Amino acid sequence: MEKIFYEPFGNECELFEKAWKNNLPLLIKGPTGCGKTRFVSYMSNQLNLPLYTIACHDDLTASDLVGRHLIGAGDTIWSDGPLTKAVREGGICYLDEVVEARKDTTVILHPLADDRRILPIDRIGETLKAPDSFMLVVSYNPGYQNFLKKLKPSTRQRFISITFDFPRADQEERILVGETGVDSFTAKQLVSIANAIRSLKDQDLEEVVSTRLLIYSAKLICDGVDPVIACHSAIVETLTDDIETQIALDEVIRATFGR
Amino acid sequence: MEEFVGELWHKFITGIAENSNDKSAVELKDVRRILGIYFRALGGDVSLNISGSSATYHHARRSFFQKIAGSGKKIELSWRDTEDLRLPNKINYFQDKSLNLDLYFWLTGLATISITSSHDWMIKNQLATLALLDRFPGLQDRYQKLVTASLLLRRPPDQLPKEEAEIETVIRQALINPGSVTESIGNQRKSFQPVILWPHPSPPNTIPYGHKSEDAMDENHEPGKSEIVENKRKHSAERVDSEDKKNGLLLMFRAESIFSWAEFINVNRPHDNEDDLENAKSALEDMDKLSITRKGKLKASRLKFDLDLPPDSSDEAILKEGILLPEWNWKKQSLVPNHCSLKEVCSDTGVDGELPSNLKVIASKLKRQFESLVSLRYWQRNQQDGEEIDLDAWIRLRSDISRNMSSAEEGLYQAHFVKERDLSCLLLADLSISTDAYISDDLKIIDVIRNSLFLFAEALSSTGDKFALYGFSSLKRSLIRFDQLKSFDDNYDAKIKGRISGISTGYYTRMGAAIRHASSILVNQKTSQKLLLILTDGKPNDLDEYEGRYGIEDTRKAILEAKQMGLHPFCVTVDKDAKEYLPHLFGVNGFVLVSKPEELPEKLVHLYALLTH
Repeated sequence: MEKIFYEPFGNECELFEKAWKNNLPLLIKGPTGCGKTRFVSYMSNQLNLPLYTIACHDDLTASDLVGRHLIGAGDTIWSDGPLTKAVREGGICYLDEVVEARKDTTVILHPLADDRRILPIDRIGETLKAPDSFMLVVSYNPGYQNFLKKLKPSTRQRFISITFDFPRADQEERILVGETGVDSFTAKQLVSIANAIRSLKDQDLEEVVSTRLLIYSAKLICDGVDPVIACHSAIVETLTDDIETQIALDEVIRATFGR
Repeated sequence: MEEFVGELWHKFITGIAENSNDKSAVELKDVRRILGIYFRALGGDVSLNISGSSATYHHARRSFFQKIAGSGKKIELSWRDTEDLRLPNKINYFQDKSLNLDLYFWLTGLATISITSSHDWMIKNQLATLALLDRFPGLQDRYQKLVTASLLLRRPPDQLPKEEAEIETVIRQALINPGSVTESIGNQRKSFQPVILWPHPSPPNTIPYGHKSEDAMDENHEPGKSEIVENKRKHSAERVDSEDKKNGLLLMFRAESIFSWAEFINVNRPHDNEDDLENAKSALEDMDKLSITRKGKLKASRLKFDLDLPPDSSDEAILKEGILLPEWNWKKQSLVPNHCSLKEVCSDTGVDGELPSNLKVIASKLKRQFESLVSLRYWQRNQQDGEEIDLDAWIRLRSDISRNMSSAEEGLYQAHFVKERDLSCLLLADLSISTDAYISDDLKIIDVIRNSLFLFAEALSSTGDKFALYGFSSLKRSLIRFDQLKSFDDNYDAKIKGRISGISTGYYTRMGAAIRHASSILVNQKTSQKLLLILTDGKPNDLDEYEGRYGIEDTRKAILEAKQMGLHPFCVTVDKDAKEYLPHLFGVNGFVLVSKPEELPEKLVHLYALLTH
């Protein structure tokens, strides 16, 4: 299996492993692009478990998770959904942006997420008991919740939780270098831009620059794009449509790279 | 080359504010928002506003400057106080527009650096320059360009009298090679040419009621040094007097515009001999005393206009009186308990009201739109009966049958349902005196607010969402009027319509207290979602200390408290300057600015739909 790059920010790896050993489901909170999904892939890789990732949306139904009957030639065939597959195989099921899913959908996670660890599948009259190696992981971004969309307390209270934030400057630099091969000085400059822009959260910007966008910029720079232009398209244009905000952000980038 | 320099010099001296069609000039109003974001991104205090500086006499070098320009020319420099970052209203020192713009960015960047290790203006600015260049090495090039260009504007030392030449040499060295001048020039400060790359050496005090400046840049003044500055100033004041005889008052009052005068209103005035009927000459004296009392040594009071207050309406029923509420004092960083007294009233004219006829058409249109917008319809599957066949259920049934499993209970239809909305909304309208202003020939802001309340009530009454309508205004902390137009329990009927028709403007906007009281009402609603919608036309303010940053910080605190209670505060404003302060209060997604107030009634209703969809 290919080695996945991940730079830990604290004891999250240990915590993940302990949670897995103790059959505890995990909730990861954090802004977009800060490494939640990468962390889960990394851990599934470390623990050598199959990973089923589901990106949640408001049309996601229980059968999208559990499975459905498909029509075959004159017959119907049952097809397992990703959640069922993960339970059967004893892998990790990761529901990304779980608040986007309808509340009646998330309820099917309840018996899996508490000490019963079962998945009742009414359609085929089967109740799966999750093997010890099965783990349920969900994530959401507390930043952009619609004010009517929130995780039900009854769902929330079945998980242990970790909060992810953007990495510390030195870690983020290492991530950029590790991910893209950019030189460490440029990585430092990119991170300094990111932290300047992050101070604008909630006041001037709805969403601030993620590690993912920094990686995009670093990749462009590595391939010979002028740093100011790379950051403009990977960061400034991505974050805002407002011209004045764009000018101000471009100035911050110029103040770092010179022109 | 000399000619070129001479030309620039001439321009620098005479053309600071006059040339409005100057192509290379950059005006603050065009770049203010950009600079604000830049300032915050570089680590500046998020609660500071960017505003224009008033042109000030640069006392220390005034005689020199006047000599050159042949007049009492003022110059706009930058400085920071507790509420604002003051930047020149316009920069046109250079012929190259981008250099003028760069100077704005430079001054903004420099203001993000606080140097507390030194008290000397010259040393502090060098340290700040070094710190900024260290943090943002990309600025190095631009700094060099600015230094080169600004040196061209300065008179070289060999053309200056000996004393000034010495200082000029030092300034030049400090600019070219920041950090290299380590000796203070503070105590022997005479006249020198202003340094446009650095902030004002002794900014005028614009902090209300003589509070000591809390700005790190200012706070470390040695008492001895202030003394010297004061003596110096007094000396300057005498000079003004004598010149006044020659040139007349306009010399000082030339002050470019009313704006400058407004600036002065906020400033300290000596308390003892205050007399509003003083003639202009003593007002002029006051102006210079302004500078003298910069550190607030004299007891200061503020010039305020009181209003001719209308008597309380006779048909107003007091529902609850003496509700005590706390207020946040940001200077002390503490919540002062029982600071405000609020009175909940209900003005019933006894006349039943009805929807104004000019709103009827739009109200019915909105009602229809609103129903379709807001009421969430969705398909419920597995129904015994319904509009459509549930194909999934049918396939399931077929497969179950083929496996000899019974599933007779399953419904094979899907039906359309309206989703239960579990939402209550309290609309809090600002009824302060400022809403009495006309926005067009025949429409006041208060009329727009009245129409908004009507349409809002019409639309919401058709959705079944629980809602309440309140208005507020205040007269200092002892009288905060909280008008109940419709409580959550009231039905929206003719009586309520009568109350809405009858709303009138009150006094001021003590927003924090009103929000706290509204929150306490809303929080008792038994719905899972609670929206606190605030409708306003300007910043929080009141007659006493409740204005500027004080009011903003208290309102912010009240909003944070509301959020902690699980409410969702949201602000709708018609104040064009709202972007300056509302993000700080409500967050970037917590407010909306309706730029054409006449569109407010419709916008408000649509907004509600969007927010709660």
